Amino acid sequence: MDDYDKTCLESALVGVCNIVQQEWGGAIPCQVVLVTDGCLGIGRGSLRHSLATHSQRGESNRFPLPFPFPSKLYIMCMANLEELQSTDSLDCLERLIDLNNGEGQIFTIDGPLCLKNVQSMFGKLIDLAYTPFHAVLKCGHLTADVQVFPRPEPFVVDEEIDPIPKVINTDLEIVGFIDIADISSPPVLSRHLVLPIALNKEGDEVGTGITDDNEDENSANQIAGKIPNFCVLLHGSLKVEGMVAIVQLGPEWHGMLYSQADSKKKSNLMMSLFEPGPEPLPWLGKMAQLGPISDAKENPYGEDDNKSPFPLQPKNKRSYAQNVTVWIKPSGLQTDVQKILRNARKLPEKTQTFYKELNRLRKAALAFGFLDLLKGVADMLERECTLLPDTAHPDAAFQLTHAAQQLKLASTGTSEYAGYEHNITPLHTDFSGSSTERM
Amino acid sequence: MKIFSESHKTVFVVDHCPYMAESCRQHVEFDMLVKNRTQGIIPLAPISKSLWTCSVESSMEYCRIMYDIFPFKKLVNFIVSDSGAHVLNSWTQEDQNLQELMAALAAVGPPNPRADPECCSILHGLVAAVETLCKITEYQHEARTLLMENAERVGNRGRIICITNAKSDSHVRMLEDCVQETIHEHNKLAANSDHLMQIQKCELVLIHTYAVGEDSLVSDRPKKELSPVLTSEVHSVRAGRHLATKLNILVQQHFDLASTTITNIPMKEEQHANTSANYDVELLHHKDAHVDFLKSGDTHIGGSSREGSFKETITLKWCTPRTNNIGRSVLLEQPRKSGSKVISHMLSSHGGEIFLHVLSSSRSILEDPPSISEGCGGRVTDYRITDFGEFMRENRLTPFLDPRYKIDGSLEIPLERAKDQLEKHTRYWPMIISQTTIFNMQAVVPLASVIVKESLTEEDVLNCQKTIYNLVDMERKNDPLPISTVGTRGKGPKRDEQYRIMWNELETLVRAHINNSEKHQRVLECLMACRSKPPEEEERKKRGRKREDKEDKSEKAVKDYEQEKSWQDSERLKGILERGKEELAEAEIIKDSPDSPEPPNKKPLVEMDETPPIEKSKGPVSLLSLWSNRINTANSRKHQEFAGRLNSVNNRAELYQHLKEENGMETTENGKASRQ
Repeated sequence: MDDYDKTCLESALVGVCNIVQQEWGGAIPCQVVLVTDGCLGIGRGSLRHSLATHSQRGESNRFPLPFPFPSKLYIMCMANLEELQSTDSLDCLERLIDLNNGEGQIFTIDGPLCLKNVQSMFGKLIDLAYTPFHAVLKCGHLTADVQVFPRPEPFVVDEEIDPIPKVINTDLEIVGFIDIADISSPPVLSRHLVLPIALNKEGDEVGTGITDDNEDENSANQIAGKIPNFCVLLHGSLKVEGMVAIVQLGPEWHGMLYSQADSKKKSNLMMSLFEPGPEPLPWLGKMAQLGPISDAKENPYGEDDNKSPFPLQPKNKRSYAQNVTVWIKPSGLQTDVQKILRNARKLPEKTQTFYKELNRLRKAALAFGFLDLLKGVADMLERECTLLPDTAHPDAAFQLTHAAQQLKLASTGTSEYAGYEHNITPLHTDFSGSSTERM
Repeated sequence: MKIFSESHKTVFVVDHCPYMAESCRQHVEFDMLVKNRTQGIIPLAPISKSLWTCSVESSMEYCRIMYDIFPFKKLVNFIVSDSGAHVLNSWTQEDQNLQELMAALAAVGPPNPRADPECCSILHGLVAAVETLCKITEYQHEARTLLMENAERVGNRGRIICITNAKSDSHVRMLEDCVQETIHEHNKLAANSDHLMQIQKCELVLIHTYAVGEDSLVSDRPKKELSPVLTSEVHSVRAGRHLATKLNILVQQHFDLASTTITNIPMKEEQHANTSANYDVELLHHKDAHVDFLKSGDTHIGGSSREGSFKETITLKWCTPRTNNIGRSVLLEQPRKSGSKVISHMLSSHGGEIFLHVLSSSRSILEDPPSISEGCGGRVTDYRITDFGEFMRENRLTPFLDPRYKIDGSLEIPLERAKDQLEKHTRYWPMIISQTTIFNMQAVVPLASVIVKESLTEEDVLNCQKTIYNLVDMERKNDPLPISTVGTRGKGPKRDEQYRIMWNELETLVRAHINNSEKHQRVLECLMACRSKPPEEEERKKRGRKREDKEDKSEKAVKDYEQEKSWQDSERLKGILERGKEELAEAEIIKDSPDSPEPPNKKPLVEMDETPPIEKSKGPVSLLSLWSNRINTANSRKHQEFAGRLNSVNNRAELYQHLKEENGMETTENGKASRQ
């Protein structure tokens, strides 16, 4: 970002907006810290001017707030409250927070402007926005103190019904394991590093075990590295087995722990958060309904580990997973008619397919009230009958005539013949016995 | 989208009056002549759909899209209107699928062109639509029940999509007024009802449709607020494909959908296997999948004005995976203005459902994280990785779709069972190889793998006992044990010390599970009877020196589940008691062989610790007290101790204690209680 010799907060915010979007896109939460002396600039480009013209913006000069990414705007004022309140500065800065949908906070200096008071103001920011998230990872009685980074954001499920943002538990409880192939690549809200930490008796963090070169042999970190830690065990086994651990984050909220390799040498324990709810991944079914394999009558993974209970089939198939009839485009209708015709020409070998396609068309035509189509297809089948070559099987003519007649009856719309559940069945002829077709 | 937004409830009201039987005057060629066919055949005359067919087809397509993307919680109620209203389905989830609707529509059939137009009206349907919007859905009911006192937070909004042929703008106005009036009336009714809900917001979408080539008698009008409860918009649309396109646009607006066209999909069929033939498919999905494009403005929008109206779709290219290791997934590539390409999405299929995933294509905030080997526990090299892998496989999850019940009749939650199992399986689980002996011994596996179970079979008990005998045998033969020598100087502990460590650890494991069942207890008894104890002098020597780290650890684990056993001071007494125990255990074993029948009315064995310690700290013990102690112990194991004696003070038990607490109890009850 270039620097200029004039206070122009809007340009600065536009710059931040562009940089963040270019680097991290629109989904990564970002904390923006604005350090200001509380002066808003003069004339064009001043914050007062920006705010005054805020309602007259178009697409090309959109005001940068709210930021087009999840954000918190922290405004650090190098001035105390009284100074700011003597002008309308504070009001203008508060407007900025409001424009960012209330996401953020203003910090001012307590007392006179001096290094100590400035440090204390930034100390407050650190406490508010940069405290690490500590949790205990549990798998039955195996536990480890961990830091989750970045800090998991609270999540609002439904503002109307459930307006309180959900925060994840500080007890991360493993409930079981699933093969990576079964969980596949699930959609996640966010990803986090899970770092084992060493805590002293007071619960303060004494180290992450990561050693700096200048540390001596017996430093806390060195010792922490040599004490067995559950995270390392878990990570190693998840990696070797190609599995993930399902972890409970709160009521009806789950996530998964897995090994992620950064390079050949480096790899890490990661945690991804699923969307809160009873069934975040449809192909696993309801989370509460997942239980231990030992409760099943027989091992659902097979004795040789060659089966899997996943993916679960949805109760109702999606339209694209079944043969749904759509005639919105003429080509859809034409294809269906052609299919019948193609099979009609291969009677009696294709008797079953012919009637299957015929019945599908019949059902759709009846539902759509498209009776003219039934008449039209009946006419077409009758014509096909007249066009049969001399070599044709005698059964073909019988079946075509029968099918045409049945369609005509259905096209009258009278309940007797136009029942939706009714199916036209092949005519039983003296020849049809020899023409059984395997479906 | 809120769960109970307008999109939770959609009512279709389709006109079934005689004029809807008229042709849309758009021909469909259905008799396409195939090449190489006999010349001289005149194709059959094209047919055309009726206004009714066009309306039904388009609304079914709307529902198909909605159901595919939102299989739950987005509901449709279909109403057909002529001389009355025909409600074809309900809000219940079972009624929410195309098959149900198609069957119901087939039963209604096309409108009768010869019916009396004076008797028919779309108004019947609109009134029924308002009525049905007041009806509570199972989801609303569930949410209200769950929220209890906050039940009013559950909204009741809905949308009415009415497809009709209106006569004029004033006719449209009349329809709107009617809806407005009906809402007003029904909200009054709903206010006094428990199973009806007042309509808070209703979006009326009036679609006037007419045959191609006719002049529209109704003008379009954007959404307008008619009252705080009702908004209305009017669309004047030609029938046929125009109507279908309109409903396709509406379903996208109503459910926040967007369109992506996937190009370059290779033909899969065999006849195209060696050609470069490919095709395109348009997908509809939630518009969030385009959020990055919309924000960055770097969109690649393909417009198609063929359908008469401009339609936005984003084009992504199919990237055929080189390797098949990602299974049923395909990556999609987004061409950028700059000419560069980026993988932006992924299509994957799970159980016949297709999902479109947005992939992050920007910089990760977790750049260059420290490796796990650099952190806490990272320097430890002998984790039991393979064993924990086995543990994970045993603790894999599987769906239990049918409800299961506990013994007390309450619903059993499978996930809670999974947690219980993890708790049991980890009661004693050393993380590193050098911290354990038993888990490094193949001979222990038969016991270790079953002892963690909630309940044991007779066969399991037998296997555990066999395992223990096998270990006794090993000890007798002086077989070496896989004791870690890490951290110890010299050759490590002597053989008998090794066995002591091993037995202690095994005891820790078994003890952690004795409360699971009486059979677990029997395994411990067998173990205690069989395990070797060091001779007196060894024991004294041992207590003189510092205990091994390992042993400390395992003993600490025992404390978690059971109070630490106080060591008896008298070693001799202890030795004799042990022998007594051994005899008993043997008797037990014979009795428990799978061939012999269960002893009738078996009572749980009472733990040794419960026998009063006699003259514990008075130095040498007399032969009499040794003898009576042994007899008492043996006897006490054969019956459950009388409750009064157990709770007695100086062998005196206070009778009828409960009378103090429960005054006024009937004497017969007391009599019963005391007889127990």
